[in-house]
Amino acid sequence: MTKNRLYRLLSRTVEIKRGEEVISLLLFFYFFLISAPFTIIKSVRNAKYIIEYTAVRLPIAYLLTAIFMGFVVAFHSKIQARIPRAPLIISSLVSFILSSFAFGILFIKDLGWVPLVFFIWANVFIMVLMTQFWILVNDIFNPREAKRLIGFFVSGGILGGIVGGLSAGVLALYIPDYLLYIAGGMLVVNVGVVTAIFRWRSNTAPSSTKAETTEYLKSEKIKKVGFLDCFNTVRQNYYLKLLAAVVTVTWIVSTFIDWQYNKVIEREVTQTFYISFFGYFNSALLVVPFFIQLLMTSNIIKRFGIRLTLLVYPLMLLLCSFGIAASPTILFALGIKGSDKSLSFSLNQSVRELLYIPISPEVKYKAKIFIDMFLNRLGKGIGALLLMIFILVPTAPSLSIRIVSIMSLVFILLWVVLNLKVSKEYANIIKGKLKKSERADRIVDEKLDVDFMKLVLDTIEDKNRSSILYAMDIFDLVKQDKLTPEVRKLIGYKQDEVRVSSVGMLFEGSESGIAPDFEERLDEGILLKEIKEIMSLDVYQEIMSEYVDKVLVEKDGESETAKMELAKALGFSDFRSPMSEKLEELLNDESTEVSRYAIASAAKLQKREYVPALIEKLESPLTRMDARVALEKYGAKITGTLADYLRDVEIDLELRKEVVATLARVGNQEAADFLLWELEEHREDMDSELIDAMDRIRSAYTDIHFRERSVKTKISEIVKECYKNLIDSYGPISKKSQEDRTGLDMPNHMNTRLSDVFKLLGLIYPHEDIMKSYQNIRTGTKDSVAYAVELLDNLLQKGLKEAIFPIIEDLSIRERVERCRILLQNFPFF
Amino acid sequence: MKINSRKQNDIIIFDIEGEIRRSDISDVTLHQLVKDQLDSGNKKILLNFDKVEFIDSFGVGEILASYISTHNLGGQLKIAKISQKLYLVFQVTMLTKVLDIHDNEEIALTAFLEQ
Repeated sequence: MTKNRLYRLLSRTVEIKRGEEVISLLLFFYFFLISAPFTIIKSVRNAKYIIEYTAVRLPIAYLLTAIFMGFVVAFHSKIQARIPRAPLIISSLVSFILSSFAFGILFIKDLGWVPLVFFIWANVFIMVLMTQFWILVNDIFNPREAKRLIGFFVSGGILGGIVGGLSAGVLALYIPDYLLYIAGGMLVVNVGVVTAIFRWRSNTAPSSTKAETTEYLKSEKIKKVGFLDCFNTVRQNYYLKLLAAVVTVTWIVSTFIDWQYNKVIEREVTQTFYISFFGYFNSALLVVPFFIQLLMTSNIIKRFGIRLTLLVYPLMLLLCSFGIAASPTILFALGIKGSDKSLSFSLNQSVRELLYIPISPEVKYKAKIFIDMFLNRLGKGIGALLLMIFILVPTAPSLSIRIVSIMSLVFILLWVVLNLKVSKEYANIIKGKLKKSERADRIVDEKLDVDFMKLVLDTIEDKNRSSILYAMDIFDLVKQDKLTPEVRKLIGYKQDEVRVSSVGMLFEGSESGIAPDFEERLDEGILLKEIKEIMSLDVYQEIMSEYVDKVLVEKDGESETAKMELAKALGFSDFRSPMSEKLEELLNDESTEVSRYAIASAAKLQKREYVPALIEKLESPLTRMDARVALEKYGAKITGTLADYLRDVEIDLELRKEVVATLARVGNQEAADFLLWELEEHREDMDSELIDAMDRIRSAYTDIHFRERSVKTKISEIVKECYKNLIDSYGPISKKSQEDRTGLDMPNHMNTRLSDVFKLLGLIYPHEDIMKSYQNIRTGTKDSVAYAVELLDNLLQKGLKEAIFPIIEDLSIRERVERCRILLQNFPFF
Repeated sequence: MKINSRKQNDIIIFDIEGEIRRSDISDVTLHQLVKDQLDSGNKKILLNFDKVEFIDSFGVGEILASYISTHNLGGQLKIAKISQKLYLVFQVTMLTKVLDIHDNEEIALTAFLEQ
């Protein structure tokens, strides 16, 4: 069968992508060929044990298995660290093949101890092979791939269970002594499947995960791996501790259910039919989950997410436990066992394996063998111990079953709580897999002190321009406690070159290299206060007014410097000083340099009268940045004025866009509200600027609130526009071409719109998480895209996910266009 | 604050000592002394700050008031030997653009002569 035909065949029932068909089918059969022989072995195990020791002594077998499992974990963790994955799995299979043949011979000799040893061996068999299977799945797939395909793999296991169960049921009546040879034969075939899987892996390009795994296997750390190391790995990680608790409680409950079921069967079914009964029943109760698994599991997980899916299994058991507590008959026994096995093999197994995917290989391999091999059995052992304690108290059989059901109910409730906690922590683990993302302008704001840089540059220039400006600059630097030795070097200050003796004095305090003490800092404060007081004196106003008027009207070459000095000096004055009124004139000066100094002084004085002139200064690229900084310093008190400009459509669009950016810098709740109101106007001429401004506010102040309905409406509009763009751009392209093009290959202008969608999402969801996701989707690898989408899957509400995922998921163009077409017909859906 | 006056040619020189601050106002202020000299017909005033330890905004106000009074009467007021700190204050407030400030008494006296 060609790959193309195989793909078409599988894609009818599984959400499979090209290139995944061969490995998916191989893993399906790998699991099938673990499950089928195990179901046969399990039927023999249960029947032989109950015949030899009766069901009452089942807890002893559980307990011994738990103890023995500790040794298996220690041994397996050591060899797993030393032997590469392929020989490890193949040698495990071979050893189980040989031992199954050996048990076949031992059972003929009818030795009393064999059923107990076989019971323990059968449990080791399934634990080791299952753990190895899931570790391999973890090696190969990321969370998104696993979510799509896990249902298919598990259905292989369930199908194996059905085939194995039916085989045991039929063959037990005719050739009961040969069942173990048949199981061993199936394992021989599995060796071939596993070999093919590893051949496929070596032929495909290594993914980042594979590289990580290989690196881990080569690392020195694994040399010391043992039981204790595995235990410590789980103990030191909150998420793994939760997972461990979930698995332990799951198996305690499962042990109770198993005991109840066997107890009822022992009462109701005769010994002759034990193997046959277990075979048929094991098979029959796997038919339903097979179809659930193959057809529904992936969809259920995709639709309801990990959190809700994790709750289905325990809640079903909760209902059934009520049933068996009320009526401990064979009907309810089959019901609870059926629910247990069908959901345990399908939904629960799939979703639990997904929980391991985001863990790093180094931690995962240690944790998985400890949890899946040891705790699995320990859970059963604890369950068994509790049962044994209970069994010591003589009670009527029906009463004992009822009491065990009530014990189950208690543990199931604990299980539900643990599941809720683990699903919450899962989202945090996914977040940890994504690269951090921050707005570039925020990084600049945080890392660079733009005001300080401007002051240093001005100082360098003013040194040759005017001794007064130079002195004022140095005074500013000292005032801000920023006249460090590096700055002194940068501005080229040399004591012997000093042009103004007063500036030399300013350097003295900082040249010592000792941080200025309180007294010195107090002096600077007093100095500034004195300057302000002097500038407020009537006599000062009287003296200077004449000079100021003269400077303002002068037009010669030197007047520019004089105006700059004046503009800067006014920044030191008190805002009530009459002279400060002159600043308005300087703000509007034709010289950019004068304007710049006036803008800086306006930012210090913060008089309302300057605001219109400052807003006008946003228009020119030469004064824009200074004006923005100045207006930002005004803060909340000018939000309303800025909003007036924002709403006035008569004003030049570019200026309004600058007002938007300024409101973003002001960054308060009122500014956010004004920006969103403007966005709601649907004028669209500055959508991206408005969205970016709100994003800037949100990134700086997470407590600022945005109306969810308005944000969602805008997202809906943009998503719809993206759909139309995609259909228009790629709809007419041939199907062949669509199949070949994958990833986020979309028209350039759509990238901006996609960015807008994420910025809007960041307004109503945790901003950092949303931006991490976006960053990873835009620039990340296939795996980081998958983790980003997985995080969104855990964060966003259903409607939003349905709308956005077709644009961002790793799909072929054909699938993307097709999904957009379908969704476009149902708009709006959130 | 202690203020002594002396006359060199037609120039009245005020030698100021100590601190000029608001909290230390005496009966006769610097401005009053300058005005008295102006009333007496002496229109060339030199304020020598060589021995001034501290001066606050009130002190600066006194200097500026003296400057205005002298200027209004068509006289000349010069300042000599002010501290680095006061010079910085004058620079930041741009008073160096208006006031006639000299490094020492000799230079200031020469400047009177040149004018």
